Amino acid sequence: MNNFVYLYEDSFEELLYTLYYLIQNKIRPMNIQSESTYVANLFDSPFKVKQTNFSSYDYFIKRFGKEIMGLARDVYLSSHEKKELILYYFFVNACKYPDTILQRRNLKCVNAVLNISHYVHRETHKMKGFLRFQEMKNGFLYAKIETENFILFALAYHFKKRMPMENFVIQDMKRGVYAFYDTKNLYFLNEDQVKELSFDFSEQEMYMEELWKTFFHTIAIPERENRKCQRNFMPKKYWKYLIEMEEIS
Amino acid sequence: MELKEKLTILADSAKYDASCSSSGSDRKNESGLGNGAISGICHSFSNDGRCISLLKILMTNCCVFDCKYCVNRKSNHVKRAIFTPEEICELTISFYRRNYIEGLFLSSGILRNPDYTMEKLIETVSLLRHKYHFSGYIHAKAIPGASDCLVKKLGVLVDRLSINTELPSESGLKLLAPNKQSKKIEHTMSVVKQNRSRVFTPAGQSTQMIIGATKETDYNIMSKSSDLYQRYDLKRVFYSAYISVNKDKLLPTLELPPLKREHRLYQADFLLRFYHYQVDDLLDREHQNFNVLVDPKVDWALRHLNEFPKEINQASYYDLLKVPGIGPTSAKKIIESRKIFTITFQDLKKMGISLKRAKYFILCNGVYFASKDIFQKDFIEKNLVLEGRELTSTQGRQLSLFGNE
Repeated sequence: MNNFVYLYEDSFEELLYTLYYLIQNKIRPMNIQSESTYVANLFDSPFKVKQTNFSSYDYFIKRFGKEIMGLARDVYLSSHEKKELILYYFFVNACKYPDTILQRRNLKCVNAVLNISHYVHRETHKMKGFLRFQEMKNGFLYAKIETENFILFALAYHFKKRMPMENFVIQDMKRGVYAFYDTKNLYFLNEDQVKELSFDFSEQEMYMEELWKTFFHTIAIPERENRKCQRNFMPKKYWKYLIEMEEIS
Repeated sequence: MELKEKLTILADSAKYDASCSSSGSDRKNESGLGNGAISGICHSFSNDGRCISLLKILMTNCCVFDCKYCVNRKSNHVKRAIFTPEEICELTISFYRRNYIEGLFLSSGILRNPDYTMEKLIETVSLLRHKYHFSGYIHAKAIPGASDCLVKKLGVLVDRLSINTELPSESGLKLLAPNKQSKKIEHTMSVVKQNRSRVFTPAGQSTQMIIGATKETDYNIMSKSSDLYQRYDLKRVFYSAYISVNKDKLLPTLELPPLKREHRLYQADFLLRFYHYQVDDLLDREHQNFNVLVDPKVDWALRHLNEFPKEINQASYYDLLKVPGIGPTSAKKIIESRKIFTITFQDLKKMGISLKRAKYFILCNGVYFASKDIFQKDFIEKNLVLEGRELTSTQGRQLSLFGNE
C-alpha cells in the first residue's frame, strides 16, 4: 500500500508503459492518472515512470493480441474515471489467464472493460448518425461534436471512407481537438496548432437546413406521437448540434 | 411549385411506410459520394419516436389506383405533386453530404400504369448512381404488375427492394384495394428472390402490411408472415397499425391506431426469425390473438411452465433462448462463460443480463432466486403483468423495433 499517484503523459503508449512498469515491479497502485487531469494535493505523492526507448505497444500486442489491445484502447478513449486502474487489473489478469481472459466475466475488471468498450462503440455508432455537417463558403463541410468519449478518430475515418472527395473539419468541442480532411489525408490537430478559424456559411446552407427541418417535421405521424421514445433513442445531450432539434431545445 | 412545398407533400404521403432501415449492404465507395454501413445507421428520430435513416419520399402522389385506406387514392381531393429526377438527386446528395441521411427511400403512386411508374423510378435511381456517383443506400419500391425486366433493371441499382403486401389476406385486398392482386404481388417478390445476389438488392427485400383495417386475426397475420419469409427469403415484414385517414363505409372507425397490437406482432416476428419459434407454438385455433398483457414469449413460457425452471449452467442454446429476458446475445455470453466458471445470479447481473423477467424461469447452479413455493403460474403472471403495466404506460419499448434490424 502506498499513496503514490502514478502519472503518465496523455497517450495510450505512455499509459501502457506505466502499466508495464507497475506489473513488472509487482507494484499495486492505488491511483493512476494522466498528467493533464491531475490536480496536486497534500496527501499523495505524484510519481512519473521514467521513459525509455522501449515500445510498450509492440510488446503488449505481441503478448496479448489484437482483440485485447483493441478493447484496451477503447477503455483508454473512454471518459471512465477509473479507467487506468481497470486496465491495470485487466492486464494483471490477462497475464494469469492469457487465453480465457475475455470469458471471465465474473471478474470485475474484465466485465468493466467489456462494458466500457461496448459503450464507446455505441456512442461512436450513434454519432455516425447524429453528427451534422454545415457547408461553408468554399464548399468544405464543418461539424462540431460534444461526446462523452474521445471518438473523434473513429468518426473522422468513417467520413473519410464515406466521402473521400469532400473537404471536412470535425471539431471536438470538449477536448479541443480538430480532424481535418483535404480529400487526401486526415490530420488531427490540437487547439494551439490551429489558427482561429472563421467560417461563413455557403449560400445554400440555410435553405438546405430549412428543407431538412421541413422533412423532419413532416415525416412524423401525429397520431403516433411519442416524445419519450424519441428521447430514449436520441438523448438530449446530443441535441445541441442537431439542426432539427434546435427550436425544440 | 416550390421545392419546399413538393417536399412537404411528398414526404407527408410517404410517412405511412414503416420501414426506414438502412442495414444489410456494405456497398463500397468508388470515388464518389457515400457507402453502405452493414449495421445501418439512424440519423435522427422523429417526434413519433421512429428512426429516420433515409430520405423517405414519393416520386409522386398522383395515383390511378383507388385503395380505400390510402391518403393518395384517386378519389381523394388532395394536392398532388411530382418530383423531377434531378430534384430527387439533388435533395439526396445535399442531405447526404450534411450527414442528415443514410440514403434514399423512393416510393411512388402509380402514374399511368405500373410499367411507366417503374421506368420513372429507374430513371431517377440510375441518374443518382451514374451521374451523381452516389453509392449510399437506396431502398426502392418495386411496383407489382410491372414487367420482370423492369424489376431486374431496378434491382441492380438499389440496395433493397420492397413490395407491399398491403393487407394480410386476399379477401382484404379485394375489399379495400381492388386494383391489387396478391398473385401479382407475390410474382414480383419471386422475381426479386430469383435474381438476388451481391449486386442485385444486396440488402434483400422486405414488405409491409396494414394491421387492423380488415378482420384478420393475429394467427392469420403471423401465418402469412411466416409463409412470406419462407417462400421469398424476406429480410423483414413490417406491420403498420392502421391509421384512419379516409372515411369509407368499408373501413373500420378507429380513434387510435392499434399500436399495442402492432408491438405484439413485431415481438412475435422476432421470435420467428431469431428464436426458432413456429407460429403454431405461439398461437393456435383456440388462441387466435396475442395476450395484450404479456409479450408472446412470456405467454408461451407461462403456458409451458413444466419446461421451467431451466438450469443456466446446463441448458442448451435453444433452451436458453426460451427464457423470457434472455436473447441471442445473452445466451451466447452464458455459454462462453460457463465453460470457465459456474454461473451464479450475481455473475448474471455482472454480465449485464437483465434478471427482471428471467429470474422466475431459471436456476443458477441449482438455486432459485427466491423460495421455490412461488414458482407458480399465477404468481409469476401477476408479477410480470405489473411490470408490463409500467411499460405500456411509458410506451418506452413500443417503437424500438423500428430501429435498425
